Amino acid sequence: MDKQLPIAGHHTGAAQPGSAIDPVCGMTVDIAGATARGLSGEHNGMTFYFCGKGCKLEFGDDPGRFLDSTYVPSM
Amino acid sequence: MTAPVAPLDARRLPIEIVLPIEGMTCASCVNRIERFLKKTPGVEDASVNLATERATVLVDPAVAGRDEAVAAVQAAGYDVRPEALPATGAGGAVAGSTAALADEVTAEDLERERTQRRTLLQSAVAIVAALSFMVLMFTPQTVVATEDLNKLILWPATFVQFWAGGRFYRAAWRAGRHGGATMDTLVAVGTSAAWVYSVFVTMWPDVVHLAGLHPETYFDSSAIIIGLILLGRWLESRAKGRTTGAIRRLIGLQATTARRIRDGVEEDIDLALVVPGDLLRVRPGDKIPVDGVVVEGASAVDESMLTGEPIPATKSAGDEVIGATLNTTGSFVMRTVHVGRDTALARIVDLVQRAQGSKAPIQKLADRISETFVPVVLVVAALTFVAWFLAGPEPRVTLALTAFIGVVIIACPCAMGLATPTAIMVGTGKGAEVGILIRGGEALEGAGRVDTVVLDKTGTLTLGRPAVAAVIPTEGLEGGAPRLLDLAGSLERGSEHPLGEAIVRRAREDELGFLVVEGFEAVAGRGVRGLVDGHEVVIGSARLLGEIGIATGTLAEAGEAAAGQGSILSWAAVDGRLAGLFTIADPVKADSAEAIRLLRAMALDVWLLTGDSRLTAESVARQVGIPPDRVIAEVLPEDKDATIARLQAEGRKVAMVGDGINDAPALARADLGVAIGTGADVAIEASDVTLVGGDPRLVASAIGLSRATIRVVRQNLFWAFAYNVLLIPVAMGVLYPAFSITLNPALAAGAMAMSSVSVVTNSLRLRSVDARPGQVRTMRRGPLGLVRDGAFLLGVAVLALAIAGGVLAADRAIDGASQRVAVAAGNLRFQPADVRVRAGQWVIVEFTNADPVVHDWMVEGIPNVDVAARPGQTARLRFVLDTPGTYRILCSIPGHAEAGMVGSLVVEAP
Repeated sequence: MDKQLPIAGHHTGAAQPGSAIDPVCGMTVDIAGATARGLSGEHNGMTFYFCGKGCKLEFGDDPGRFLDSTYVPSM
Repeated sequence: MTAPVAPLDARRLPIEIVLPIEGMTCASCVNRIERFLKKTPGVEDASVNLATERATVLVDPAVAGRDEAVAAVQAAGYDVRPEALPATGAGGAVAGSTAALADEVTAEDLERERTQRRTLLQSAVAIVAALSFMVLMFTPQTVVATEDLNKLILWPATFVQFWAGGRFYRAAWRAGRHGGATMDTLVAVGTSAAWVYSVFVTMWPDVVHLAGLHPETYFDSSAIIIGLILLGRWLESRAKGRTTGAIRRLIGLQATTARRIRDGVEEDIDLALVVPGDLLRVRPGDKIPVDGVVVEGASAVDESMLTGEPIPATKSAGDEVIGATLNTTGSFVMRTVHVGRDTALARIVDLVQRAQGSKAPIQKLADRISETFVPVVLVVAALTFVAWFLAGPEPRVTLALTAFIGVVIIACPCAMGLATPTAIMVGTGKGAEVGILIRGGEALEGAGRVDTVVLDKTGTLTLGRPAVAAVIPTEGLEGGAPRLLDLAGSLERGSEHPLGEAIVRRAREDELGFLVVEGFEAVAGRGVRGLVDGHEVVIGSARLLGEIGIATGTLAEAGEAAAGQGSILSWAAVDGRLAGLFTIADPVKADSAEAIRLLRAMALDVWLLTGDSRLTAESVARQVGIPPDRVIAEVLPEDKDATIARLQAEGRKVAMVGDGINDAPALARADLGVAIGTGADVAIEASDVTLVGGDPRLVASAIGLSRATIRVVRQNLFWAFAYNVLLIPVAMGVLYPAFSITLNPALAAGAMAMSSVSVVTNSLRLRSVDARPGQVRTMRRGPLGLVRDGAFLLGVAVLALAIAGGVLAADRAIDGASQRVAVAAGNLRFQPADVRVRAGQWVIVEFTNADPVVHDWMVEGIPNVDVAARPGQTARLRFVLDTPGTYRILCSIPGHAEAGMVGSLVVEAP
């Protein structure tokens, strides 16, 4: 199973207004929708939004890993 | 699930569990779930597919199952979607399950029955039609003209030709595409020639008339050929067993429900719903539902139906169990590994089907003969055409074509289709009288050439049930052997173990074993103990006795000797002291030795094949007379098939005799598979011959009977072709220059009748064969056999001549009583023009044609009283008229009557 699909331009691309980037997988997430489904979480005072509960749980288990500057969000 | 188990070894494959997962959104969900699954103990591998939303997990069934996988998924934060109903096939059965197999079987059987019924119907219609045509055509009458009769017969004949005879065209086409000719080709060609010619004669009788021929049709020949060949096909299909019978038996063997444990709840469910990974509880007496692994508990399982070994095998955690075997007295929990088509049982049936399918079908004798016969006939017919065309009288084309068609028609023997089935029917009937059930001719054709016989041991040469061979008391035992037997027989009454049952049976023989027993206790797999007649008795393995401190040294020698023969030892102790030893073995059947002798007397090479130990195998071989180098022992069930193949690869034609389900693939692969009737139904369905009752001497009888039957089949084919081949020269015109005789429908019908009668009566001769056990000698083909066959040949020849002679004599008698009138045709006039005859008396008109054109002499108003003659030919007409009166005579060739070719016929009162 191929898990390393690089998402081009993640680091530099800015999110569209009203959407955010999932820090785990790099998908673009609609903020309102994510909030409504409970797919948001706080860490160190910041709010993050996730594409699905998997990413949210992953993030919750080890936030430092995904916030590290060398981490490349990938599918 | 907490019991320590052996690590997964190469023989036991992990099982695959598929779970539909809800709520996955991206690849990291995939990663997460996989991670959680993989760190679950027992999970070998896990792979999750985002697109299909499914997780495929490989688990070691002894450690983990569906529940553990689901728990892992839930721990990762996801839900498993509630199970969707698995795909169902027709009738609602779950696809791939045994119930679906059953549906397939039923559908195939129904189809086959439908085809069989249709064949019988077509045959009956064709034969009835043919007989009606014959009656209509051959009865001399002057009411309906032949030409009109032909038009009447044309319609039903055409219907029969294509509705009943259609299959021959299709089959001939199929064979022709590969450049070959079979019996179907011969039938298609022969009947088509007859039908085409007959239609031509019906639609354009004048053309035939101009050639000086009667407008005779062969509709009856064509119909009777089709009818009899179809009859033969129907007989063959009835004799052939259902090939899917093996699957049906398999389904019958399996359990129908299983007790599933899921989420702590136990529930009886349909066997079809069991999937790999399910936990099942097996209670005492249950049939094990599917293939699996024991995870908890212990018991002894009777696997005799699969391995033939009558002693139940002990199973505990980590051991494999096989579906459809019988659990005895323990209870355990198992994990499902294989279901439906993947079970060991299903794989055996698959092996059977593959073995059956891989056997090159022995080309039927009739087809082989047809292969060469058809081209030869066509060449001969072509030569005939050329000869008539070049050297024959006018009109050349018509006469040449008629001769050509005649050769093709007569070359098709209608009894060909009956040759094999009638012999097989009589042969199988004869066999059935002594308990030999034969399934179909193809088996027999191979049986005749068998030179090697391989026998299974357990259940075939032996009884298949353990019996006490010797009762050995210790020296000084009070009461000796009878006392020992009495005590043991009484105690073992409570045992359900075959060894115990053997001891009880032995005791019963001496009317012992009725003492009172208290405190009976069975020690799982090792023995029994209790208080018998006030004494503490223990019976069991040496180990059991050792555990309670009893040494077996005093009888060690006897024990070793017996063990060296492969016997099982059951030790007995009374009141804490060694009392004696029972040696138990599977006894050889009383007739086995003679059976082997009979086979060797037939010049067959005899082998012994068994899964049992080498020691036991050689011991049995010694007792029946098989040399040790012909003994193959310790063979796994799946390798029996391979052993047969190996022998066949040496160029041998092998017969296999067996009785267990595990013998089925070998039975199917052998050139002749013989199932001993006391065995499993699957074995019976996989075999060509079944011996009811288990007497091994019947094997020799079966082979002898097969050989005799094949001999009769060959003779039948000779008879089927003989008459027709004899008439080919007649059709060619060999008798024409001298006797003006060529083929006519009456001759053709006569040949058909004689050949059919000969074939049937020859088949009936098989009834004189004696197939009883031990009587094989009488079936051997010696000088006496040749004399008998010769006598039959002579008898048939005499009968044929007698019939021909009788017909000729009757004919001559009529001739003798006939009034002869000579009429000549010349210069377009009849000479004499007027003829007087008496009513009720036969008249022969000899009509000579002196003109250079064809003339005929016809009585107007009365059908069928006419005769045609070619230039220079004298033709003969014989008729009888009952009504007095005056009739006009004329030549029916257009224009001749107007030119004055007329006359009168006066019929005077008697």
